[in-house]
Amino acid sequence: MITLKNIEKVYRTDTIETLALNNINLEVSKGEFLSIMGPSGCGKSTLLNIMGLLDEPTKGGIQIDNQSITSFADKKLSAFRNQKIGFIFQSYHLINDLSVLDNVELPLLYRPSVSASERRDLATKALEKVGLSNRMKHYPTQLSGGQRQRVAIARAIVGNPSIILADEPTGNLDSNMGNEIMEILENLNKSDGTTIVMVTHDENMAKRTHRLVRLFDGSQVA
Amino acid sequence: MIQHLFKLIWKRRKSNFLIMLEIFVAFIILFAVASLSTYLVRNYNQPSGINIDNVWTVYVNYNSLSDSLNRQNGELLEQKLKTFKEIKAYTFGHETFPYGNSHSQGDVGAKGKPSVNCSFVSIDENAPSVLGLELAQGEWFKNTDTVGRVTPVVITQYMKEKIFGDENPIGQFLGTENRQKVVGVLANFKQFSDFDELSGTLISPFRDAKTSFMARVDPSVSAEFEAQFAKSLRQINKDWNIEILHTSDMKADKNSMYTIPLTIVFIVCGFLIVNVVLGLFGVLFQNIARRRNEIGVRRAMGATQSHILSHFIGEMLVLATFAIGLGLFFAIQFPLLNVFDIENSTYLLGILVAVVVIYSLVIICAWLPSRQASTLHPAIALHEE
Ligand SMILES: Nc1ncnc2c1ncn2[C@@H]1O[C@H](COP(=O)(O)OP(=O)(O)OP(=O)(O)O)[C@@H](O)[C@H]1O
Ligand SMILES: [Mg+2]
Repeated sequence: MITLKNIEKVYRTDTIETLALNNINLEVSKGEFLSIMGPSGCGKSTLLNIMGLLDEPTKGGIQIDNQSITSFADKKLSAFRNQKIGFIFQSYHLINDLSVLDNVELPLLYRPSVSASERRDLATKALEKVGLSNRMKHYPTQLSGGQRQRVAIARAIVGNPSIILADEPTGNLDSNMGNEIMEILENLNKSDGTTIVMVTHDENMAKRTHRLVRLFDGSQVA
Repeated sequence: MIQHLFKLIWKRRKSNFLIMLEIFVAFIILFAVASLSTYLVRNYNQPSGINIDNVWTVYVNYNSLSDSLNRQNGELLEQKLKTFKEIKAYTFGHETFPYGNSHSQGDVGAKGKPSVNCSFVSIDENAPSVLGLELAQGEWFKNTDTVGRVTPVVITQYMKEKIFGDENPIGQFLGTENRQKVVGVLANFKQFSDFDELSGTLISPFRDAKTSFMARVDPSVSAEFEAQFAKSLRQINKDWNIEILHTSDMKADKNSMYTIPLTIVFIVCGFLIVNVVLGLFGVLFQNIARRRNEIGVRRAMGATQSHILSHFIGEMLVLATFAIGLGLFFAIQFPLLNVFDIENSTYLLGILVAVVVIYSLVIICAWLPSRQASTLHPAIALHEE
């Protein structure tokens, strides 16, 4: 599903050069639930961003669904993100000026084939899946952290992507809430066969996934 | 998509209100200046109907209150004028000459017809040859016509239309006592400046003592001739005051009463617009800096660069449309209520100019910040909290 070959990422500023990722080779198969662990600053988010086509590697190649992404132009790249990938971020990244429903509709807004009423239907269904159908008219600031993360999950799944990339989805939540979120993800993986890559700091969460990849200082250690 | 923009704008109505207000004010200023300019340019483009090339206006004062003495002086003056071959034509009149400082005004109508405010000019039969006047209809009066109780008069086309409409005015009478008979119609007579609007002028034969006059001189005359001419007029009688003015200078003076304030208005308006543009620019850059996170989210959700670009420009266009809508509501009152007696099309052109300029300015102002927003790297935009 996702193939990373010899990925290297260097961040250059005027004064410093940071090697954030060093020779990463990773294959994620269809329907797999993979977790990534590692100390802070080891390059987990960077890796996820590269898988999610939000960032370009300095060296190396990416294949998603057997398509080599490296040469894609912005338009194709964006369409790919839109169709295939759902993102969940540690800090939710909801748009505070949009209602819960409008936040969830967002990915569909960039899909020209989806009509306004279809958007509404799909977003409502996604919110039902995460148990938030009674908060659709609320704004993100009126929700708890766990509720916000569930909105973010609904947004990630509304377009029915084949891959979900989650960067510490439970990092800001207490263990009960974290558990709930984890259950939703496990459910998605089991029932819809969604491929999930999740960054986590929590060994217990990582144990519940199919496979664990450990990073240290930009390199894969396990 | 447009609904999405409306929702965002409505949610941010507080901060958007200022932007809208700014655009609204700019619109009103532009509308006012554009309408004024349109009005003046249109007036300017109307032919003046008066040719003042090589024409002098000569103010003469005999410093005498005796009418019989003045009449004698008039004859002396005219005899002298006839001796200069450089003076091609001359016409005596009251001092209400074109581009001069004296005016006389009043309402004139005809029995059973509307009356119209018009200027009065009194000048003799030679006026057409000095001022190059061309009649649209009828003919100019002769000095010999002025006998009896009925005075022949020439009016402007504007006045004819106001009073007589489509009727033939020639031979019709003006005034309550039917003392003035229309003999000719002038297409135009812009006697105050090039920026006059079409107006009513009633020209009647000059019958008083000959004093001040306008003269058409040979194009070849020099400054020496002018000095010599003035000197020889003064020599007739030491008590006379003679002032020779080039009519084109007088007209230029009158025109500058419009062009100077207009230039100032343009400069002030230019400054205001530049201010508004810079203000908008600043606010937009700030807005987009504050919304980097949102931009990152949108990009992650599949928005292309051009989606982001059109999103931000779209927001500004929606705001501009609201502001313009509000501005139009006020602007449209001017033609509706006929606030100033100006053609509606002048306001409409003013509105059109203001709308086009505002939209262009907004697009220009929104372009750079929006462009910057669209090229923002999604990973970097999301990285910041
Ligand atoms: N935009 C950037 N410019 C420069 N350096 C960066 C940038 N983003 C990340 N880095 C550097 O790259 C390295 C990896 O960062 P990354 O965010 O991937 O770490 P992480 O494993 O996700 O850490 P955490 O667990 O704290 O989220 C860090 O050393 C960081 O300083
Ligand atoms: Mg991270």
